[in-house]
Amino acid sequence: MVELRVQEQQILLGIEKNGGKASVDQLISICNLSDAAVMRNALTLQENSLLNIYAATQNIIKLTNEGKIYAAESLPERKLVLAIIEMGGTADLKAAAERAGLQAQFIQIALGWLLRKKWVSYSSQSNSICVLEEQLQDGVVEGSDEVLLKVLAERGQVVFDELTVAVKGDAEQLKKRKLVTIEAKTSRFLQITDEGKSALAEGNVVQSDITQLTPELIITGKWRSGKLQRYNIAAPVASVWPGKKHPYLSFLDEVRSKLVTLGFQEITGTSVETCLFNFDALNMPQDHPARESSDIYYVKDPKFGDIDSYDATVRNIKETHENGWQTGSRGWGYRYSFDVTKRLILRGHSTCLSARALESGKVEVPGKYFSIARVYRPEVVDRTHLSEFNQVEGFIVNSELNLGDLVGILGRFALEIAGADNVRFKPDYFPFTEPSVELSAYKEGYGWVEFGGSGIFRPEVTQPLGVDVPVIAWGLGVDRLFMMRYGIEDIRMIFSSNLEWLRKKQVT
Amino acid sequence: MPTIDIEYKELQKLLSVELDGDMEKLDEILAYVKAEVKGYNKQDEVVNVEFKDTNRPDLWSVEGLARALRGFIDQKCGGGIRRYVLEPSGVEVFVSRELFAIRPYIACAVVKNVELSDASIRGLMHLQEKLDQTYGHKRQKASVGIYNIDLIKPPIEYTTVKAKEAAFIPLGFAEKMTADEILEKHPKGCEYGHIIKNNPSMFPMLFDADGKILSFPPIINSNDLGKVTVDSKNLLIEVTGTIHTTVLNTLNIVTTMLIDQGGKAYSTIIHYPDNSDYTEKQVTTPNFNNHTMKLSVEYTNKILGLNLTAKRIAELLKIAGLSTQETTTATADAEAEITALIPCYRTDIMHQVDLIEDIAIAYGYNNITPNWREIATIGKAKPDQHGINLTRDLMIGLGYQEILNTTLTNKETLFNKMNTPQTPLIELDNPKVTTMTCLRNWLLPQLVEFLSNNKSVEFPQKIYEIGKTTQPNPTYETKIQENETLAAITTHPNANFSEIKSTLDSLLTNLGIEWQIKETTHPAFIEGRTGQILINKQDIGIIGEISPQILENWNLENPAAAFEINLQKTLKPNPPPH
Repeated sequence: MVELRVQEQQILLGIEKNGGKASVDQLISICNLSDAAVMRNALTLQENSLLNIYAATQNIIKLTNEGKIYAAESLPERKLVLAIIEMGGTADLKAAAERAGLQAQFIQIALGWLLRKKWVSYSSQSNSICVLEEQLQDGVVEGSDEVLLKVLAERGQVVFDELTVAVKGDAEQLKKRKLVTIEAKTSRFLQITDEGKSALAEGNVVQSDITQLTPELIITGKWRSGKLQRYNIAAPVASVWPGKKHPYLSFLDEVRSKLVTLGFQEITGTSVETCLFNFDALNMPQDHPARESSDIYYVKDPKFGDIDSYDATVRNIKETHENGWQTGSRGWGYRYSFDVTKRLILRGHSTCLSARALESGKVEVPGKYFSIARVYRPEVVDRTHLSEFNQVEGFIVNSELNLGDLVGILGRFALEIAGADNVRFKPDYFPFTEPSVELSAYKEGYGWVEFGGSGIFRPEVTQPLGVDVPVIAWGLGVDRLFMMRYGIEDIRMIFSSNLEWLRKKQVT
Repeated sequence: MPTIDIEYKELQKLLSVELDGDMEKLDEILAYVKAEVKGYNKQDEVVNVEFKDTNRPDLWSVEGLARALRGFIDQKCGGGIRRYVLEPSGVEVFVSRELFAIRPYIACAVVKNVELSDASIRGLMHLQEKLDQTYGHKRQKASVGIYNIDLIKPPIEYTTVKAKEAAFIPLGFAEKMTADEILEKHPKGCEYGHIIKNNPSMFPMLFDADGKILSFPPIINSNDLGKVTVDSKNLLIEVTGTIHTTVLNTLNIVTTMLIDQGGKAYSTIIHYPDNSDYTEKQVTTPNFNNHTMKLSVEYTNKILGLNLTAKRIAELLKIAGLSTQETTTATADAEAEITALIPCYRTDIMHQVDLIEDIAIAYGYNNITPNWREIATIGKAKPDQHGINLTRDLMIGLGYQEILNTTLTNKETLFNKMNTPQTPLIELDNPKVTTMTCLRNWLLPQLVEFLSNNKSVEFPQKIYEIGKTTQPNPTYETKIQENETLAAITTHPNANFSEIKSTLDSLLTNLGIEWQIKETTHPAFIEGRTGQILINKQDIGIIGEISPQILENWNLENPAAAFEINLQKTLKPNPPPH
């Protein structure tokens, strides 16, 4: 003979009351038990073959915002037919609509439905509308669609699958009228078995097992007189989610702390920048393709930044662009414009921060600096492109620095930051460095990954900024490194709005 | 970055290397000129190559690419500069003075006995297109025209016509059109017409001695004279433009490419009008003379961290396709100065450092010994990073998930859907998509948007973001002020004001901040459940229960409560070092 505990009995009774099956949500309110309690008991009951647990998809009808208005005010065709009845059963369409308070755009819709519902006849010649005799007699009975709207307003939602065929049709019509939505929702259901039914009938209930230990039971010592119920500890429990750092930001934290450990100092700046620091100071002529509106975001208003305090620097840069100034370069050979250099943009790379730092005169020699900056480019966002992303960049100044130092630093980064097993260098191009080097890092299981770019700042860059010692500039492809580390193939995941993913993403 | 299509077979032939379709091997070779394989169409045997360096138009043909790679691949051959010879063609070109204000410069070359195949015509057209678009800045600075010289009677006149003065059949068309009709109706006219519109009544035109029209530069060639086919043996190359150096360089690149295809090149004489606008009155084009540049051995070794002799440097320059003048003085290497010879098509060399990089590439980047120089400096994160990290730790301890949004968003999200009047913000002049038109000036809207994307995810949902918000501020150099900002929101069936206030209080108390709250109103929050957050009587943010109208706007079904504070006013600087 099967013994039932109090909560088990409650659940079986609840299911039976509900017609032999019920959803977990329904049982929570019927039995006034927690989600965990319902599931824990249900699993025990299922083990004893007293019920079956299954998942099923139901279609749920809900009112849209428009639907809510109509549920409160009644449908436009109802308003119109009532107006006509008030006007004696026959009326001019326009006059009736006015009386019904219908806005012009709803008149044709209301008329269409009146005809479809066979409540009226209509003569387009005289534009007059007449309520049908049989409808007048009954006072135009409320249609089942209208009833459904009211029920929805009252209950919030209705299960589509439980409706009769006719009402289902009404629901579909209301959906077409955009008054309701019908969405599939999967829920867990409990269905009582024949054994369950007979167990209930036998009514063999074990009394007063203690489930939740309470302060009252402890203080009064009553716990001694009861029996602490054994739990099915293998039963699944509700999920809880910790507060967590965003994986990408955690990764940037790690990069930052490694750079700090290597002796680098962090520099910052605003995301809106002048062309002066984003381009001109970096030896990019004013007609450089990267400055086209397809490659850089321009600020709408205000258009120009304030560069007065950089007067001397700007003049050096102008000379350098036009004829090389004293840098030993032949220059770009064009007429430099001050309006172009003042133009405000969203920075397209973080190298502008290095240029600013060098210009400030506050850079220590020797010195090591870095920035982690959001940069912007008008890209079409896809699995390999973002129009907004982060760059980690920096520079090293010393009285003496050469290509050997440059590959040495890059190798160190590959080791410290990417944990690489091997590195490889290739010629690279940046308008502001020469020589320029691309770094690829090899990691077991990942293969070769392009990981960073670097170079020695050109004299055309450093000299106009007032720096006459060599400067090594470097940048790391952090997004790619992050994706490799976290096994992500779509770069858009960096700004993912998928909470489930963030909750479940393993921390590393 | 420029990309070009090259014929795989042709490249293999010109390089004398068996690649066996191995694109990785090709990639390794292309690395010498900072290029890589972007794609390989096996069926057509066409390789798509991308160049990182935007200043090497000499590489944009299979011939140019092979020329640059030759020294690197076959170091025994010694590399050096390929010699291109020229003979006078007798063709002269006369330029009218009014062109100075429209499109002042022209350069021409004649190339005879060219054996063109379908593939080489494709390559030529491809090079022409790349030069026009990239090096010539969409034909603004320079554009190329190619003609069958056998159909042309020299001398050639580069002059202007009035709108209806002259008509010809433009390339690819069947009927004669006048200049103004071309600008209005021909696709190239619509595309490039703006270049010559600074004088709307005069149009540049090239005529031969019989008055036949060669082309309407920089718009379109004549269908009769300016069409190149496999039967064209003798060609006239013409480049017009606004920058003389660009025009001359462009001509050199096209002409040397045709010489590499087996043609023989002849020079032309350009006569500019005798007025003060033009500094040179007579220019012979093309000009294949090398440029020279002094290179210091000491400077080279200083940058490379090597100890190369002048002789070794000269060898390496040759591998890179350059050369040197014979040095007669036997000075010590340390003081020696080398005179480097730079071929006419290497337009990218501006400074000694450009030569030094070529030397390094020839030496081999992977042959350089990496050096970790011990430079003793003290590392430091930015001053507010410590405070940001403390805040993040607390928010996480309070059970909030950190999220990350873009700082670019749109006014619909920031204001309309939040029922909030627009406040000053930074908008973009050239947005790419309608969802990203401005920088956010508050965080909360994107947090609500985030929730609207997670309606089916388990509740409670508690999220926060720390990030930059941006406001215009005319007193700043870049006219904006950025604030590090924190916003947090909680949503579930029982979310309410008390819950979010507890969270905020816990956060600020743990940061050691005393704060006050003052009732206020805000259209995004429920009246009577909204507070201004104050520290030392200074407004630092807002807290409240989100208005149900906002929840409806975002199709949210659970109550939500949130706060947003300016962290600039709450953060502590880095702790003193221990």
